[in-house]
Amino acid sequence: MTNKFSVKPDGLFRQNIVLMSGLVTAPIIVAATTVERAIVLVLSFFLMSYTSIMICRIVPRKIVYTVRAMLYAVVAAGMFIPTVIILEMLFPATTKSVMLYIEILTVNSLLLAKTESRFYLEPYGVMALDALFYVIGYAIAAFVVGAIRELLAYGTLFGLRWFDPPMPAAKSPFFGFFLIGIFAAVCRAGCGMRRAQQRGQRAARASQSIAPDSRGEGAQ
Amino acid sequence: MTFSGVLARIVTLAMISIFTQNAIFDRAFGANVAIYASRKENHVLGFTAGITVITTLASIVTYFIDKPMLALEHGYYYMPLIYIGVIGVLYVAGLLIMWKAFHKTYKMVRRYAHLAVFNCAVIGALFLNSTYGSNLPSYIGYGFGSGVGFFAACFMLNIAQEQLDSEKIPRIFRGYPIMMIYIGIISLALNVLTGYTSEF
Repeated sequence: MTNKFSVKPDGLFRQNIVLMSGLVTAPIIVAATTVERAIVLVLSFFLMSYTSIMICRIVPRKIVYTVRAMLYAVVAAGMFIPTVIILEMLFPATTKSVMLYIEILTVNSLLLAKTESRFYLEPYGVMALDALFYVIGYAIAAFVVGAIRELLAYGTLFGLRWFDPPMPAAKSPFFGFFLIGIFAAVCRAGCGMRRAQQRGQRAARASQSIAPDSRGEGAQ
Repeated sequence: MTFSGVLARIVTLAMISIFTQNAIFDRAFGANVAIYASRKENHVLGFTAGITVITTLASIVTYFIDKPMLALEHGYYYMPLIYIGVIGVLYVAGLLIMWKAFHKTYKMVRRYAHLAVFNCAVIGALFLNSTYGSNLPSYIGYGFGSGVGFFAACFMLNIAQEQLDSEKIPRIFRGYPIMMIYIGIISLALNVLTGYTSEF
């Protein structure tokens, strides 16, 4: 699947930063225990990482990477201030409870590693869309993990009570590791099946295009 | 506080950050870096040394910054900026010292030095110190223990690497997924062992 900018939406599943490459896992594993927390984590990730990626594009590549990496973290730390002000207005209690995992986003690997290996090698518009796919991929993982853990640990979804909590331990970090591990395997299997399907389609198309040629050759 | 009291405080906090509040198993700080570092034995030592030195030194520096800053009404807004600044200065100073004094080592580590310094394990230890640390020995103990705890985690991942990549593991689970489940099992074991429940 490609769009008008010819950007492959790899960040959604194939290179999902939580489930496939594991670049940004700590907030999801430990702090995404409810949907509301997941919303706060996704908003903070978008406001800090996405805007920092956009801003840091102007950092000249002549500067050695040692210093560039530091500048990226400084920009993200600067973005932390407006991010927290906005989140504290929208979700005061939840923001306070996951503050540690918002603070550590200043040094997340999407900003420090993926920028150099992918985003900054692309034109600006393509990069903007590509980075957005990565953020959406993060959001998908956060909401799925948050919803499952909220149901199991509290028996609620979006704060509405459905049943008695069947598994209170689901809010513990170890359950987060298990869940991410299982989803990573499922995501990998899904991507593998899709790749195999695409390979099959390509092979079928290739054989179809060869067949008329061979008929033509025969006619000649 | 007597010398033995200071030492006891440092050791206690170091033990807490290694076992009950391990950066990887309890908080998932730097889990991706630990998985990456655990693939090679020399990476385990290199990353651990970098993280331990930075967390210990940065903890000492931030002890003197935390009190006046956190006393301000919105002082916590500026803490990530300050911590990045402290880590950055130590990072550049460390690279300069290695470049001057240990040129061979500098050439080896310069490619991944930033990964060992700018990661969640380092900055997370500083934030936890600002929340729970009460005095300089506790800051030093927690900072040092975070680095040692990271080594313990990397070592456990490193020794299991071969088994976790073996044919006995289903193909889709090999690598990252099984590593996550393995970390989860150790995290569960440490939780049960210590009877400690994290708030997050």
